[in-house]
Amino acid sequence: MPRHLTSRLGEGLIAIWGVVTIVFVVSRMLGDPAVLLLPIGATEEQMRELRTQLGLDLPLLQQYLSFLLNAVKGDFGQSFQFGRPALSVVLERLPATAMLAGSALAIGILIGGTAGALAAIHRGSAIEALVLLVALLGQATPSFWLGIMLILLFAVQLGWLPTGGYGTWQNLVLPAVTLACFTTASIARLLRSSMLDVMRDDYVRTAYAKGLPPSRVFTWHVGRNSLIPVVTMTGILAGELLGGAAVTETVFSWPGVGRLIVQAIETKDFPVVQAGVAVVATIFVGVNLLVDLLYTLIDPRIRQAS
Amino acid sequence: MSSTSLLPFRASLAMRTSLLALSLGAAAAGPAAARDLTIALSSNVNTLDPFKSTTVGTDLSVAAHIYTPLVDRGPDMKLRPGLATKWEAVGDTAWRFTLREGVTFSNGEKLDAEAVKWNVERVLDPKTAARNKPWFASISEVKVVSPGVVEFVTKGAYPDLPEQMSMFLLMPPKWTAENNPAVTALGSGPYELVRFASGDRVVLKARKDYWGEKPAFDNVTFRIIPEDSSRIAALVAGDVDLVTGFPTSEIARIKASGKVDASSVPGTRGMFIKLNALRAPFKDTPKVWRALNLAIDRKAINDGLLDGLGEISACQPLSPTYFGFNPDLKPIAYDPAQAKKLLAEAGVANSLTMELEVPTGRYIQASDIAQVVASQLGEVGVTVKLREMEFGAFMNKYIVGKNLGDSAYFGLGWPTLDAGGLLNFWETENPQSYWGNANFTDAAKAARSTNDPAKRMALYKTLTKQLCEDSPSIFLFFTPITYGQSKGIAWQARGDDWVRAMDVKTR
Repeated sequence: MPRHLTSRLGEGLIAIWGVVTIVFVVSRMLGDPAVLLLPIGATEEQMRELRTQLGLDLPLLQQYLSFLLNAVKGDFGQSFQFGRPALSVVLERLPATAMLAGSALAIGILIGGTAGALAAIHRGSAIEALVLLVALLGQATPSFWLGIMLILLFAVQLGWLPTGGYGTWQNLVLPAVTLACFTTASIARLLRSSMLDVMRDDYVRTAYAKGLPPSRVFTWHVGRNSLIPVVTMTGILAGELLGGAAVTETVFSWPGVGRLIVQAIETKDFPVVQAGVAVVATIFVGVNLLVDLLYTLIDPRIRQAS
Repeated sequence: MSSTSLLPFRASLAMRTSLLALSLGAAAAGPAAARDLTIALSSNVNTLDPFKSTTVGTDLSVAAHIYTPLVDRGPDMKLRPGLATKWEAVGDTAWRFTLREGVTFSNGEKLDAEAVKWNVERVLDPKTAARNKPWFASISEVKVVSPGVVEFVTKGAYPDLPEQMSMFLLMPPKWTAENNPAVTALGSGPYELVRFASGDRVVLKARKDYWGEKPAFDNVTFRIIPEDSSRIAALVAGDVDLVTGFPTSEIARIKASGKVDASSVPGTRGMFIKLNALRAPFKDTPKVWRALNLAIDRKAINDGLLDGLGEISACQPLSPTYFGFNPDLKPIAYDPAQAKKLLAEAGVANSLTMELEVPTGRYIQASDIAQVVASQLGEVGVTVKLREMEFGAFMNKYIVGKNLGDSAYFGLGWPTLDAGGLLNFWETENPQSYWGNANFTDAAKAARSTNDPAKRMALYKTLTKQLCEDSPSIFLFFTPITYGQSKGIAWQARGDDWVRAMDVKTR
């Protein structure tokens, strides 16, 4: 493994530790889970007894240290709400999240990439104006609103697709499109501006001057060199899609990690919050490492520097 | 093809499939087709273990299809025999239940007095960390009188033990020890578990060898659909048959679709404003409490925000469904002039400022209602500062922190539908009381110390009257339970949060 990747991995681990520590402290500040876990009217003694059973009566530092020690071993404790290991509660939601995020990202790269490249190639034309307008709308449309509208049109009015839920490819279409909307628009806009920047560079002019056909200039000189910012952006978007699709998941009753974490925060299910955030942070770090790896493939200068 | 012509195409397709079904039915003429029911729930089913949750609307409702209680509360809110055929109080400190003979769990384990005793012991064992323990903590001993008779000895009187037992879902001892009841289930109820996909759905099918009345549906699916609009869309699109718990304003819109029905029943959770009488500005100010009560136009709020579907409180925390409801009390009439007069007499004319804490995400239309309350109080010269906060944060401040603001918009129901549990919240020692009144507390304790219905009824009459006239509480209304259903089914709607396929019939 190249040295800079090793150091990025180290940084990533420190970032994960930092995130779970912040989450540990902040979730403890939310208050007492016992009051939500027991029915209204529970006595103080009953609440105390439950806190003892959940290990919440121990000093905070001790709770934190045992949390860290166990977390390293992959044990995030028993969920307060689900009555089983918090990590398995999170991991069983991961396939749904990965499927949704993967589809949204694929749509984003395919359509966003095509649209962005077209807009750059046809600079100043109606195509560029149209792509920019649609992309602006795509970025500005709240996913909540878009999701409900798609449900009303395609599920209620036309009856082509289910209103929500999880299981078949039909269930995937509407949430994937909703989630892809922002991603597609972001990639289209960034690729266009990045390509326009590169097109002004001297070596592109040189390539034309050498008499290379425009298609070759666009693919090899402009395309490849304008990818770096787009790859960075796509990495960030991928991380966000994997961890932060709670709104889309809620609108479409999609059993993903984002919705799970939100629910766990509301019910103060600390182990699930901690496990969920640790998993999402790990994915984020993993995606960023992948992005670093892609840099070295795209840009020989980065490869040589390391 | 115009865009609207797509709909007739769908209709004709539906017609063709139904014709096909008819011809197939005629050809087969065999057993009736399997009847399916899909119910949408608004929050997640977290566990199937009935001891690890007290959320009636989700976890317990689902578990109640698989496990059965000793006593069942029907959709008419009356108790009826379940696993027990009869029950009676033995003096003031015990209840005796006679069990149905020959009932077993679906794995063959006997459901006898020993099994019932084991269940109570499991709840009370601290290691279980049972969430429903507070409901049964007053049971001090379970006596197995005979295999068919069990006696619960209680610490003091426990008049609503049979009602509480309607929420006690019995588990098979041996099976529970060998399995993780959080993710799997096996009981003595009308349904058995097919699949539990947390966050998505719970799939059940009817048991062939169930001892009780056969339910109307062979297959029941609970689907988790948290978002109101999506839940309604799923109903209208025909993906689900029954949905509950959306804003009242949606009822008309759902009906307008022409495809499904919608309605509501009065709920059993009373909404009220609790004034913190332990500190200024509401410490020892009965005139101000009274003035605020008179300044709120409950009917206007009910008509304006709840489409008139709420049930205005008869100046007490109990709805007519509760044991102990006082029929002599009437809702407080709106009288802003008298309110202003009382505020002037108390020396706070146009000078009273109060915080109103509003927990969000829990009670129907809470923010809207609190804003109207604030503006109505504004009209008699009281300045209200609204403090919205997330429900968990509010509960922490209110119960654990013992630090309620000047007042809060709050809802309170008691699962046994008995006055005892509810009135307890106004007793001085209760950390949720925020009011100290020795007379009230003594009488409430006396009412709790007997199982005799006549004595209790008489005491509750005085207690509710006292709450109405002297307490720092502004009783508002019982918010409705809204529901929508497909045309093929009829849910016997109930106001106490239980959602069970057993309460649904075909039509």
